Amino acid sequence: MADETFLSDDLLRQLMSVGEVDLLVGILSHRSANTVRRAAHYVEKSLQQNFVRQRVAIISVDGGAVEDSGSEDHSGDGQPGNNSNSKGITSLRTIHRVTAAFNGAPSPGLALRTILSASDLLRARGCAVVSPATSSTSPEWVANLLRPAFRDSFDFVAPLYSRHKFQGLLARNLLYPMTRALFGRRIRELYSDEWAFSNRLGNFCLNEDVWHEEPVRSRPEAWMGISALTSDFRCCQVYLGEKPPPPDGAGPDLVEVLRQTVGSLFWLLETHQQAWLERKGSEPLPTFGPDHAVTAESMELNRARMFEMFQTGVKELGPILESILSPETLASIQGIATLDQHSFRFPPELWVTMLYEFAASYHHSVINRDHLVQALVPLYRGKIYSFLTEFSEASASDMEAVSENLCMEFERQKPYLTEKWKAGIEVKS
Amino acid sequence: MALQEDNLWYKDAIIYQLHVRTFCDSNGDGIGDFVGLTQRLDYLQELGTNTIWLLPFYPSPLRDDGYDIADYTTVHPSYGTLDDFKAFLTAAHNRGLRVLIEMVMNHTSDQHPWFQEARSSRDNPKRDWYVWSDTDTKYQGVRIIFIDTELSNWTWDPVSKSYYWHRFFSHQPDLNFDNPEVFEAMWEIMKFWLDMGVDGFRLDAVPYLVEREGTSCENLPETHAIIKEVRKRLDQFYPGRMLLAEANQWPADVRAYFGDGDEFHTAFHFPLMPRMFMAVKLEDRKPIIEILDQTPPIPENCQWCIFLRNHDELTLEMVTDVERDYMYDEYATDKTMRINLGIRRRLAPMMENDRRRIELLNGLLMSMPGTPIVYYGDEIGMGDNIYLGDRNGVRTPMQWNGGTNAGFSFADPERLYSPLISNSVYGYQVVNVDSQRRFSHSLLSWMKALIKTRNSYRVFSRGTMEFLRPSNHRVLAYIRELGNEKILVVNNLSSSAQAVELDVQRFKGYIPIEMFGRNLFPRFGDLPYLLTLGPYQFYWFRLRRI
Repeated sequence: MADETFLSDDLLRQLMSVGEVDLLVGILSHRSANTVRRAAHYVEKSLQQNFVRQRVAIISVDGGAVEDSGSEDHSGDGQPGNNSNSKGITSLRTIHRVTAAFNGAPSPGLALRTILSASDLLRARGCAVVSPATSSTSPEWVANLLRPAFRDSFDFVAPLYSRHKFQGLLARNLLYPMTRALFGRRIRELYSDEWAFSNRLGNFCLNEDVWHEEPVRSRPEAWMGISALTSDFRCCQVYLGEKPPPPDGAGPDLVEVLRQTVGSLFWLLETHQQAWLERKGSEPLPTFGPDHAVTAESMELNRARMFEMFQTGVKELGPILESILSPETLASIQGIATLDQHSFRFPPELWVTMLYEFAASYHHSVINRDHLVQALVPLYRGKIYSFLTEFSEASASDMEAVSENLCMEFERQKPYLTEKWKAGIEVKS
Repeated sequence: MALQEDNLWYKDAIIYQLHVRTFCDSNGDGIGDFVGLTQRLDYLQELGTNTIWLLPFYPSPLRDDGYDIADYTTVHPSYGTLDDFKAFLTAAHNRGLRVLIEMVMNHTSDQHPWFQEARSSRDNPKRDWYVWSDTDTKYQGVRIIFIDTELSNWTWDPVSKSYYWHRFFSHQPDLNFDNPEVFEAMWEIMKFWLDMGVDGFRLDAVPYLVEREGTSCENLPETHAIIKEVRKRLDQFYPGRMLLAEANQWPADVRAYFGDGDEFHTAFHFPLMPRMFMAVKLEDRKPIIEILDQTPPIPENCQWCIFLRNHDELTLEMVTDVERDYMYDEYATDKTMRINLGIRRRLAPMMENDRRRIELLNGLLMSMPGTPIVYYGDEIGMGDNIYLGDRNGVRTPMQWNGGTNAGFSFADPERLYSPLISNSVYGYQVVNVDSQRRFSHSLLSWMKALIKTRNSYRVFSRGTMEFLRPSNHRVLAYIRELGNEKILVVNNLSSSAQAVELDVQRFKGYIPIEMFGRNLFPRFGDLPYLLTLGPYQFYWFRLRRI
């Protein structure tokens, strides 16, 4: 049973009024109340159209942008149902809207924990977590996420998107191939703002004592996904459509992004090492809808500063990189840093080796872990600069081939990581 | 007991609907009759109902349970004579019971002399009393009501070699109200019964009186003009008599049948009925609140009539497709239970014989605004027989006792107009008036107490209604108010116990008194009022400020 002591009385009262549900959709905190409201409207529309008879509730986890809460159906646009005889009757059942209000924006981990607690108390069979930014794309979005968990007995449902070849570069060049190679499952969008899960997985995660850990606080979805992949839970992916770009200026900077994503990935390697150390190869996940797609229309890119920042970083972080990387790897990186920007390439083999040495060094805590992850930032910039330059004219299918080759490189070098992981390393002061 | 002189009596009525054929057979022919019904009037008086609505008892081929009328001004010989009816009427009035009868204005039986004449020749004076056409293409797109049996609203008449129009069965040709003679003929018929003393008419199928090309042929202005004329004459010559509209339409469309208080006195609230069933199954008050929120106000001298079941299928015409599918899946899993766009089952079987749910629905019926109608047999929880044709499964003989023929008739059982319900759950040996009269905890005794309580407070029949909307959607709560009388009704629609906090701060200081046990509950204060209810439980509280 959930430890509900961190739930406010007001939230508990709202949950009491809802009672048992079949489906719960959680909308994560966002800056704008209007955005959350709009998202809730689309979610409601999706539920009305796709889960007509189910008992459903929407929970907005809100940091200061308080929504109307209560049990009545507040269909946003008041449009009648498809039936011309509907006379303004939009749904069979009450669709509940619950608001979990916090003073200031709660961390994603606290938001998820709140949603898991609500799901547990409401005994929801299936739960989806959606982002206000993406859930307004179409009503089918939410339904597609929920269906595998609700109807097909999957425990964890990750999204799949259609992306431009230069979107999601962190996922394409690091997070996906590394997760695939190490954990043995080809989950493309582990770090996403939306996913779905079953009551069984939700209860499991709720009862884990990890909510104080920074990686869980900042990127709980990755932890939840890895927990599902490495335990006895059924996982799948579902195609949602084109991933909308984030609003201009939204989101943290690159340093923070890497701290959250790569930092949590390294932490997950640490906490789940029994699950990946001996695993070999990788398997696809069941996928609903078309597999992810890559589009290749032309796009303006500003990469001028990237190379400079790479070179500057390699130079200025030399002593730190010495602690993290092997002499051979460092020498190779310093070598490519001297190339001119037109001929610069960051070979995939070097990229993978470097990342694995970072991971092993994280495991052995050769330096402060947070500093270690931050040291990756300029190197990542270099990799991305190389990627953008090399593949600016590449087709969508070429990009897929490149990605697959990178994944295979990660898998090929896994024994190297395993060896370094298990070996003792002298900690340099 | 003399009838109370009150032109608004229908607002306080509790109507008991029955077919004379089903109630009591006095002469051993296996068919209920007026003499038998007269013998049973004490029962109706004892129950607490004060108005009887009789289904059609006119001469008829009985191909639509009497709604196919062949003679409007006498009684079908199976049910007795006109004198028997007069005696029944007098006896009813002497007990303070008013009587409503059917008036089927829209159509006749094809065996009616009018139609026989009309079809005999295109030159016959009564030809234009019906709606004829040389083709079946007029009024295209008009919906067919009996979709299970009729393919068209036109039928070829081989006698006069033309098509005639019928919105119901093909043996029920529609009268042509564009012909003033038709109206006058119908008025004479109504006068015949009014002069005898009947208290009102249920006008069957009123939306369909008039046809016009390019329309749905329903609810047309010309139809309302006809009703207004009927009402005008009624008020002038027979004040205090009542017209009840059978208009199976959305509330906003039925509203028109009240006119400005110059058309029908009362009309059925069809869309509310399935939503009460839906709300209990969904365990969610939304369907009820939604339909009542979109029910327009009606003139002060008018009243809705509300009901749970009746002689027809539980109609699912005025629901959305989604709602209809839900109702079928939940209440009519066996397709034999379905007919036309509805469900041909009685209340008790639909509630799976769950006494709590039966009580809850009756509690809603008696506490919501409107004149309630009890369908015969539902007060004892009678069952149905879905294997009888048409809607006959809900029209079986009244079960008076556990003896021969359930006390309905002394004829041979094979001679009864319909088989009795005789299974182990709803059979007459188990469910009957006599056995339920013996126990104060029987459904019949409970219904009597319910009706008595309702009758004791005019606020139920004439008061306003305001929904409280607690956050617990499984609880339907409302305030009924009339002058200083205030009643709080709280219903748990759910199969599990519920807690609810009611926003009654504006009644701070009032003491709620539970109306059946007359016990005091804690006074309303500043905080939301917490109540807990068992599964399907409901409360009626009288609010007193002392």
